[in-house]
Amino acid sequence: MDQRRSVSDLFNPLRPESNRNPPLYPSLIPKTLISLPKRGQNPSGAQKPPAMETTVSYQRFPKVRIREMKDEYCKFELRETDASMANALRRVMIAEVPTVAIDLVEIEVNSSVLNDEFIAHRLGLIPLTSDNAMRMRFSRDCDSCDGDGQCEFCSVEFHLNVCCDSDQTLDVTSADLRSAEASVIPVDLAVKALAMESSSTSYEAAEQRGIIIVKLRRGQELRLRAIARKGIGKDHAKWSPAATVTFMYEPDIHINEDLMETLSLDEKRAWIESSPTKVFDLDPNTGQVVVVDPEAYTYDDEVIKKAEAMGKPGLVEINAKEDSFIFTVESTGAIKASQLVLNAIDVLRQKLDAVRLQDAEENDFSELKAHLG
Amino acid sequence: MVAQESDPVVDYKTLTVPVKSAVDKFDLLPAFLKVRGLVKEHIDSFNYFIDHGIHKIVEANKRLVCVHDPTLFLEYKRIYVGNPTVHVDLVEQKITPQMCRLSDRTYAAPIFVDVEFTKGNQPNKQIEQRQRMQIGQMPIMLRSSHCVLRGKDEAELAKLGECPLDPGGYFIAKGNEKVILIQEQLSKNRIIIDRDSKGRVSASVTSSTHETKSKTVFFMEKDKIYLQLNQFSKPVPIMIILKAMGIESDQEIVQMLGRDPRYGSLLLPSIQECYSEKIYTQKQALDYLDEKAGSTGAARARIRKEGEARKIIRDIFLANVPVSHGNFRPKCIYAAVMLRRMMDAILNSDTMDDKDYVGNKRLELSGQLMSLLFEDLFKTMNTHALEHVNSAYSKSNSAMLDFTSVLQRFSPITQGLERAISTGNWDLKRFKMHRKGVSQGLCRLSFIAALGHMTRISPQFEKTRKVSGPRALQPSQWGMLCPCDTPEGEACGLTKNLALMTHVTTDEEEGPIISVCQSLGVQDLASLSGEEIHSPTSFLVIFNGLILGKHKDPKRFANAMRKLRRKGKLGEFVSIFVNDQQRCVYVASDGGRVCRPLVIADEGVSRIKEHHMKELRDGVRCFNDFLRDGLIEYLDVNEENNAVISLYEHQDKDLNGEKNEVDRKSITHVEIEPFTILGVCAGLIPYPHHNQSPRNTYQCAMGKQAMGNIAYNQLFRADSLIYLLVYPQRPLLTTKSIELVGYDKLGAGQNATVAVMSYSGYDIEDAIVMNKSSLDRGFGRCITMKKYSVLKEKTDRIIRPQNEQNKQILDADGIAAPGEIIRNHDIYVNKQSPKNPRDSSALKDQVYVDSNAKYKGVEGETTVVDRVLLCSDTDDKLSIKCIIRHTRRPELSRINSREERKRSGMEKGGVGGMEEGGAKEQKGMEEE
Ligand SMILES: [Zn+2]
Repeated sequence: MDQRRSVSDLFNPLRPESNRNPPLYPSLIPKTLISLPKRGQNPSGAQKPPAMETTVSYQRFPKVRIREMKDEYCKFELRETDASMANALRRVMIAEVPTVAIDLVEIEVNSSVLNDEFIAHRLGLIPLTSDNAMRMRFSRDCDSCDGDGQCEFCSVEFHLNVCCDSDQTLDVTSADLRSAEASVIPVDLAVKALAMESSSTSYEAAEQRGIIIVKLRRGQELRLRAIARKGIGKDHAKWSPAATVTFMYEPDIHINEDLMETLSLDEKRAWIESSPTKVFDLDPNTGQVVVVDPEAYTYDDEVIKKAEAMGKPGLVEINAKEDSFIFTVESTGAIKASQLVLNAIDVLRQKLDAVRLQDAEENDFSELKAHLG
Repeated sequence: MVAQESDPVVDYKTLTVPVKSAVDKFDLLPAFLKVRGLVKEHIDSFNYFIDHGIHKIVEANKRLVCVHDPTLFLEYKRIYVGNPTVHVDLVEQKITPQMCRLSDRTYAAPIFVDVEFTKGNQPNKQIEQRQRMQIGQMPIMLRSSHCVLRGKDEAELAKLGECPLDPGGYFIAKGNEKVILIQEQLSKNRIIIDRDSKGRVSASVTSSTHETKSKTVFFMEKDKIYLQLNQFSKPVPIMIILKAMGIESDQEIVQMLGRDPRYGSLLLPSIQECYSEKIYTQKQALDYLDEKAGSTGAARARIRKEGEARKIIRDIFLANVPVSHGNFRPKCIYAAVMLRRMMDAILNSDTMDDKDYVGNKRLELSGQLMSLLFEDLFKTMNTHALEHVNSAYSKSNSAMLDFTSVLQRFSPITQGLERAISTGNWDLKRFKMHRKGVSQGLCRLSFIAALGHMTRISPQFEKTRKVSGPRALQPSQWGMLCPCDTPEGEACGLTKNLALMTHVTTDEEEGPIISVCQSLGVQDLASLSGEEIHSPTSFLVIFNGLILGKHKDPKRFANAMRKLRRKGKLGEFVSIFVNDQQRCVYVASDGGRVCRPLVIADEGVSRIKEHHMKELRDGVRCFNDFLRDGLIEYLDVNEENNAVISLYEHQDKDLNGEKNEVDRKSITHVEIEPFTILGVCAGLIPYPHHNQSPRNTYQCAMGKQAMGNIAYNQLFRADSLIYLLVYPQRPLLTTKSIELVGYDKLGAGQNATVAVMSYSGYDIEDAIVMNKSSLDRGFGRCITMKKYSVLKEKTDRIIRPQNEQNKQILDADGIAAPGEIIRNHDIYVNKQSPKNPRDSSALKDQVYVDSNAKYKGVEGETTVVDRVLLCSDTDDKLSIKCIIRHTRRPELSRINSREERKRSGMEKGGVGGMEEGGAKEQKGMEEE
């Protein structure tokens, strides 16, 4: 009966081969200049270009304006940079900001209806508070436990011991997980505890019962030990701190006022109605068409098509601002949304540092050159 | 310029007219399925066999008498089938289907007979009686009348380890679930007018009675008509046959055919031929036929005794027409009707029969097939017993000789039934039947696969037939056979599936129906002269292929019969069909006809009213009440020809306010629900009428491959391989059929959000890019469970492991522990066998060699021992079954990687081949 078996979630794809192919965003590296030979200037032959040359700088100084910030949600503008930067930031937030999640499960007793790896998988997907994740070690490069991944620097231990002895179905939830470390607990519990403290929304919080792992009937038992480790979303989605991260180009809307004035009020109204989202409206006083919410525009081209159909091409001109992005970040709760953005910038910086160090050591730009053509 | 077109003119008057709400008859469907179940035709036919058919077989062969001594006999008084039991250590034990599945047993019940018999070879014998003598075991169909699952509710079924959604209708032979497929057949005992392979017009009858089976063919060659019968060495002129049956006058023959002079002229060459053979009397004809009798040459024909021809004509020629007291007249009339229909066909080729017409087909179900098998084995048992008793009678120690001991010692029934069901080979020499693949292992790939398997109809023709006729969709299939569900490739159009509401009839007692016919004014043939039979004022009444007589007012007769049926005085599946062209009324009560329920409409007004439906919804009325009250009736394919069926309640004006072309008064029936023309598999397709038709056919084949749930007891089954989905879902968009079938309770598949984009790179057919995070979170994750069986011979031993390599997962009992991770080369049963199995004396450790069971898995895969089952098999050996579980997530298509392609030999054709192979199956995953 006391046979221990360990099941890790079986489907960790390959570990990343530590930054072998770091993404290259030379134009975005702040402060330090990596200057590149201009296209055409560089002889295609044997000569190596000089490593550090201060000819042209692509350096820009992006600006951030925060619009909205809650624990789990954040909206901000990123300006004066380009899509590669914005996309890098987005991808890092989704896939490379570390969190803590259950990675190894040692099952002692499982007489539930779900099998061992099923439960292990479900445990892995429970988001855990990961505020310390940046400071934790990856267990593969932990020195104090030789990569065993079971020491205090790289792991957190959980215990679960539930047995059903009533005739009612018993829900085993994230609330039944006992953590060895107070700072790493299931996110829903942390939220609940916070709500209790402030007691303003305690009623709502009390209704929450935690994330269901499995349901037990009379006589069924689940006893296990779980190890949570640090990881990144690239390896497995359970480590991803982001629920959704999106950015959009800020639209630049120009109404041709002269042409617009040739329209009758009904035509204006019809044209406004043609947009599936509420971007334009009619000024009740002046009868002019005004842009009320440019960000509601979904680049659907409906208003442009409508204008053409009305025989007024060029009534409105809409362009995406190439250097201006509106980000929406939603967090799973593992870390705060604001922290997620900051961590992402840190991670991105580290990655770029790695590139720079590598380049400095090897003094070899051939790879970079290949990318840039 | 405003490029707006004006709206089409809408007549708001017609749109605002309140739609007359038709009675929603949909609730009838669940009621119907509740009463009948999804595979009721199988269960009904098996019940009929067990409760009635088996008695008839025994009744026909009830007496065994020793040839040497007529007082030494055995007579079967009664036969009955008990409850499913098994003998374990000489104790009778009740068994459940789940027990049989897990322990490789056959789910069977004992067959008992009550007998009367005499003993010994003394002249004065006492008649002894014996009750409940077992003569074998009968495999029992699940959910049939003798099954333990009969009438159990969900909780009781769960207790028995059974899935409440499982439809039953299959057998369990040696632990394997076996379905006896529905077999399609041309109908027996019916006249079929057709063109044969040489293009000659022919009339054929395949006769089948309990005693004989034969095929009688009339054909016309060079204007002369011949009979072809296997018992005659070559075709015989038809006139000679008629004369041999006692009609010596040519005038009478022509009269029997009918007055039309064209018939006479068509018959003239045949009459002339008869005269050129110098045959004028019955005697001459019989002598002539005696010569021809025997299929093998003239040498044997000479030895044949006189009267052979008479016997053939009596017993084999048109065997379905009985000859009582040497009265050949019914046979003559039957032959004359055949000739007449043949001539009709020659004069007007429209009257030719269509072999593909569903009304000319019969479906043979498990009950009939089991009945044939049982009859054969029962007769074998009896002949064996007779032979044994006959030969033992003369021997000295036969004082205690009796039939029962022989029957008990030799009974091929248990073995024979079990073997036929588990191999699917129906080899019945007695009935000249040699069919393979009659039963198949029930497909448990998914719940729908199992259901679909049960409604499948296996074709009568060979699959190699090139002709398109039998493959084409027949209009008469409407409502009976699914128009979509057929496989692709060689069996396309030949293998069919039943529609949702189809019922297949079983045989019905003929006597009462015949007397009803007679009391309704059918004139007996015996009282009619040849001339009168085809008089233009009357119709022939044909009952199950037999000419019953004639009736002066066929419409009134048919209506009266139908009224009786609706009143419940006649069986609900009796069909009455007036064929105006052939001037016949066909009454049928035979088994194997397909039919379906329809709502009766009086002059286009449905008999079902809202209050009936309310009663149904309130639970005070069930489907059978609708039948009994004459609101609904079953129509078979032939009777549908006399009906005008509207899809929905008749509207006098259509939506545009135009007058409906169909006259309301002509409508006789209303369809219950139009979608019931589809079968189980096609019923899963949402909006099938918006699809290109082959797409529906493809989906019917593919729906069965969907992974998901198999049954509620899926985790307690020991199938050799099952695939389950970790997170199966109910379809977001359901059809009515889905709810009826229970697919929403045992779903297969997951609802995916799919973005379709035509751009480049991934615009390859059948490729899909999947979100890796979704896969991480469990999308498409599946569990496979594979069974590994080990049989421990009596001399083998299973020993405790000694901390050796590859034996870490073993328990102290030497068998793998459930829950352990099992890797390649791990041993899961630590078994040893003696070097010399015969030497069973002092068995020491040295005489044993390892014969352990080693797991062969893929390196790097994590498989887990899910369960271990121990049971003793039928030979009392220990059988160990390890169920090994492996959870898998969707993988990049293997074919995509260059290495794999090389390995699988895809690159044979050089670069071109590679591109083709690589591109076709590409399935990519991308981050995010
Ligand atoms: Zn460590």
